Amino acid sequence: MTSASASSRKALSKIAANRLQKELLEWQVNPPSGFKPKVTDNLQRWVIEVIGAPGTLYSNETYQLQVDFPEHYPMEAPQVVFIPPAPLHPHIYSNGHICLDILYDSWSPAMTVSSVCLSILSMLSSSTEKQRPADNDRYVKNCRNGRSPKETRWWFHDDKV
Amino acid sequence: MGPTAPPTKQAEQLRQDGNSYFAKNKLSAAIDAYTEAITLCPNVPIYWTNRALCHRKRNDWIRVEEDCRRAVQLDHSSVKAHYMLGLALLQREQYADGVKELEKALDLGRGANPKSYIVEEVWQELAKARYLEWEHASTKRSWELQSLKEACQSALKEKHDRKYSEMEGFVDDINDDYSKQLDGLEQVFAIASEADTPTEVPDYLCCKITLDIFRDPVITPSGVTYERSVILDHLKKVGEFDPITRKPLHQHQLVPNLAVKEAVQAFLQKHGWAYKMG
Repeated sequence: MTSASASSRKALSKIAANRLQKELLEWQVNPPSGFKPKVTDNLQRWVIEVIGAPGTLYSNETYQLQVDFPEHYPMEAPQVVFIPPAPLHPHIYSNGHICLDILYDSWSPAMTVSSVCLSILSMLSSSTEKQRPADNDRYVKNCRNGRSPKETRWWFHDDKV
Repeated sequence: MGPTAPPTKQAEQLRQDGNSYFAKNKLSAAIDAYTEAITLCPNVPIYWTNRALCHRKRNDWIRVEEDCRRAVQLDHSSVKAHYMLGLALLQREQYADGVKELEKALDLGRGANPKSYIVEEVWQELAKARYLEWEHASTKRSWELQSLKEACQSALKEKHDRKYSEMEGFVDDINDDYSKQLDGLEQVFAIASEADTPTEVPDYLCCKITLDIFRDPVITPSGVTYERSVILDHLKKVGEFDPITRKPLHQHQLVPNLAVKEAVQAFLQKHGWAYKMG
């Protein structure tokens, strides 16, 4: 997935680069709790450490999110996936893809990396069982050619979990 | 030929010749063609602005200014004429007048098409000019403050030394007063230089999408304010909804937010460093 999607990516537009600079600065000054960005010199790909919230099924577990920004961010959603091993969760596939509406159809340019991260953390926190989505094997097999989760036609079953 | 005569076919042909020379970067040939067109029909503003564009490429700012002044006389609403005239004035370090022309160009350009490349270009030039102006003025201010501060410090020290030699008792009290006064002085001067110290622009003056200070703010029926060019882009590419409230939103519902625009102007007036973009 890494090589295919990285090489076909276009450089950030001026608006995108400008906005990401601001988000990065804000993140450094005022990081959302439960997250640690890994320092890289690549503005277009962020790697963020997620720490499971205390008192939830994922407490004390850490995972890594990889966030890739398209040329026309924030008019297009970033691509957000867990770097395997991904947390066991009914909406997270074993290849790291996340079934969360705001990452796809419900994206809005007023959302930021930090608001997306908080949504993912709250999705983890509200889970009541640690298991893979029912269609995990089929889905992951279909993605073997390095397909981006943004190309999936997501079917959002429920908003509760 | 009367002053309102339409361009003749011959003059139009010359303009097209000029344009294709310009595209090939043959500037003298382009200037000759436009000059001939002007001789035939001196009242067509675009011949003047096109020739000005050639002079601009050659950094011949005196001629840019001449041609643009002529074009502005012929057409008060020419964005390009005001824009290049502004640049020429800035070259001559006529800051106030240059900035005024750029602002005029910006208003006219936004009226015609708020998303056009020229609006962005004019804004960049305007911000650059304003920033330089601020840098110049603030350097002077900070130098003046620094020398005033040093003068005050040495006056306090002199006073302290005199008291110290006159009074032999209460030495501790004198030292106490002195260090308090020095601290107070430090604080006063820190406050005095606050406006010139780059920090963050308050969130309420920044667009929730660009995260940058507003240039041309518009408000939606939900009461949220966005940067005009960016919300237009959103409506076209992402969907017809308010990015924050997600209520349905259509282009014709956007209204300029004049109060925020004034607040931004007032902020920039005081804190010129905020003109530095990106």
